[in-house]
Amino acid sequence: MKIAIVVQRYGADINGGAELHARYVAEHLAPHADVRVLTTCARDYITWRNEWPAGTDVVGGIAVERFPVARERDVIDFRERSAVVFKHDHAIQDELAWLDSQGPYSPSLIARVRQAADECDFLVLFSVRYHHAYHGARIAPHKAVLVPTAEREASLGLAIFPPVFRGVRAIMYNSFEEQALVQALSSNAHVPGVVVGIGSEIPVAVDPDRVRRSYDLRNPFIVYVGRIDANKGCADLFRSFLEYIERTGRMLDLVLIGTAVLPIPAHPHIRHLGFVSDADKFDVIAAAEVLVMPSPYESLSMVALEAWALGKPVLASAKCDVLVGQCLRSNGGLYYGDSAEFSAALDTLLSDPHVAAALGDHGRRYYHEHYAWPVIEGKYLEMFERLRTSPPTHVMQPLPNWIERRRRTVPPAEAVVAQLPAGPSRSTARVDAPRHAPRAAVDAP
Amino acid sequence: MADQNQQHGRRPHFHRGRRGPDRRGNDRRHLPPQEQQPSRDHVDVEQIMREIRARISQRHGIDLTTQQIQELAARRLEAILDPRTVKPSLLEQLRRSAGAPVEARPADPALSYSFEATTLYESPSGFVRFMRRLLQPLLKLFFNPNPLIQAMHTQAQINQAALAREAERERRQAEWNALHYEILQRLVTEISRTSLETQGLSMRVEALAAKVDFNERRVRGVENTVHLARPAARTDSAPAPHQPAAPVQPRESTPSDTPTADVSAREGSSEGGRRRRRRRRGRRPSMGPLEGQAPPVVGDPSAGGVAADMDLEADIDEEDDETVAPEEPTASATPPAPEVPEPAYVIDRFVSSPPPEVSTSVPQTSGESSPPAPEPVAPAASDLASPPDPHEPTDSGSGT
Repeated sequence: MKIAIVVQRYGADINGGAELHARYVAEHLAPHADVRVLTTCARDYITWRNEWPAGTDVVGGIAVERFPVARERDVIDFRERSAVVFKHDHAIQDELAWLDSQGPYSPSLIARVRQAADECDFLVLFSVRYHHAYHGARIAPHKAVLVPTAEREASLGLAIFPPVFRGVRAIMYNSFEEQALVQALSSNAHVPGVVVGIGSEIPVAVDPDRVRRSYDLRNPFIVYVGRIDANKGCADLFRSFLEYIERTGRMLDLVLIGTAVLPIPAHPHIRHLGFVSDADKFDVIAAAEVLVMPSPYESLSMVALEAWALGKPVLASAKCDVLVGQCLRSNGGLYYGDSAEFSAALDTLLSDPHVAAALGDHGRRYYHEHYAWPVIEGKYLEMFERLRTSPPTHVMQPLPNWIERRRRTVPPAEAVVAQLPAGPSRSTARVDAPRHAPRAAVDAP
Repeated sequence: MADQNQQHGRRPHFHRGRRGPDRRGNDRRHLPPQEQQPSRDHVDVEQIMREIRARISQRHGIDLTTQQIQELAARRLEAILDPRTVKPSLLEQLRRSAGAPVEARPADPALSYSFEATTLYESPSGFVRFMRRLLQPLLKLFFNPNPLIQAMHTQAQINQAALAREAERERRQAEWNALHYEILQRLVTEISRTSLETQGLSMRVEALAAKVDFNERRVRGVENTVHLARPAARTDSAPAPHQPAAPVQPRESTPSDTPTADVSAREGSSEGGRRRRRRRRGRRPSMGPLEGQAPPVVGDPSAGGVAADMDLEADIDEEDDETVAPEEPTASATPPAPEVPEPAYVIDRFVSSPPPEVSTSVPQTSGESSPPAPEPVAPAASDLASPPDPHEPTDSGSGT
């Protein structure tokens, strides 16, 4: 079986969610299939500047073909086009222009995808909101297995995406919330889909004392791992944490791991470790009392899964349905909607070790039952096998004609997203399970 | 006696002396606190979040925004005004006038006229006006129009002044109405806010009372744990009669704990009775004697525990099986105490001859053949170090 994984960036040092997701999937499917990665030369997801040389490369034993990005992102143009399609009535053509503006715009990559559609059994396309995934799905819908990594954000409400969700061969969802969101948006229940998620490379042993010594972490601490950005909820996290420290006087630190886009408050209880190695990251998580995940937009929080794999409870933002759903399904974390809930939940976790340990145990069990690599690999292979043995039953809806594409009758994307159903899902029953999937693979996560 | 047990809602007699699951019938009491703690699997995120949010709402009281409070106040204000005595449209009128600027009502043009000396001769027609002015001296030959003109002029001035006064009065009245409405609205708003705060405070009081109750129960549970551990320590020391004092120190005796009789005779078996009294005192701190029963007698070992309910009896009954065992040998060796008031929860009299295997492993209290004896008291520290009674249970596992 030949599989081409198409993703916007690819590299051993890229830790973005979808990119890491793609790399893990490629590496874990490699023993079962002939896997090839098609990607761009970009390393920066904001500018898509070509930083890697074009051509073939090998990363972690996987053949990687890189194609140059023809046009870097013009941030101002992208912002203006975003305002048009997100906030005003607009036309399909505006959305297509927005997609080109967002990038990564690489005609050579699209041409290679068209060629790979003939060579490979399946194209695994990551992140529907990007140029390569949308056009790749339209080029070869009968071979396109989409990993949408869709979140409740404005771009999901664009009118160009529902036909893609209805037209691809199969969809691998990250969470039940994502599945519910996409199905409510596009009515694509007929498309084979499974909630898979992603595992992680959890080390066999961790050494919390080592990082306590090396980073001089003397106080108990909670940890945040990820990009330190206001869009990730970090500003709210800082405010809530400082209020909590001021109110309780507890000797507790907030340790931040990741690149800072947002100014970090200068406070003795806030420690920024910067970008650390995976080993350090896991050791810090293991040394922490709680992993805090304030992001309101997550399709799947790998860091939360890693914390659960290490037996640590998670304190997540209640604004993110996916995180709340995961906390509820795993019974492994608490969530907060405001500072008062943050304080109360943190108090519960810190002052009651029994509860924290129990939540951590539940999380560990949840991870191993639903996100261990054998489970993930099994779901992918079962889906491929199902698709190979059954012919496609649906086709991709074509784009409207030239005149229709220019009619300004499409509602604002934000209004569309606002009408989608919200809320976490407690259900573990898959909506559209593969007929031959094993039970464990069907019910999880 | 078994019937009597049933009558009092107590565990049937056949449970007595049995151990293990067959002894624990459906009326098994709650587990001790340390066993009641939920296991790790029983932690529920939703439940924890509900508790967290309940705590927050308790702390904040009923958390309403200012807008919500004002809406509530507006509804209350409407409810205050009785439609039978107050015009229904008044409130709406006041509400409108409170927000709107005060405008003077336009004066009636019929009242606000002016009357001058030439008014009598005015006309829209210029010719008529000219002829009247021409013939005015002739007219004055017939009558004097000046008093009439003067009176009408004065009346016009009076009308103007009255209209001005009326306008001023209406303006002031409108301002007063707006002020009164504003005050009334603020009062009702404040009352609403205060009542909400009162509700919040009462909820806090309830929560604190529940916490106090919980803490009391916890203290009792800890005491219970200590009491449950004590016989084990004692039975552990039983095979070694010459060991020094047992590790558990009994509490200080209070006057009410000290009976007047049989103290010296029952030193070695009095701990169970003391435990009973402590439990009763803790469980029903403010409860008096039951209706129709005599109040506790000073010096009576059962003092303070007359009102024990059936639940308590079952509890004591169960505990008694395991921990009050020493009473049996000592009671049989002790002459019956005459005319001792019978405590309501005395359980020894319900115990007939225990099964033989129980008599060794789980000693029972004195049987009904022996008259009820006064309650024993807790032994002093030296009592625990005294040589063991030959009837002292040797089963170290009992009572734990």
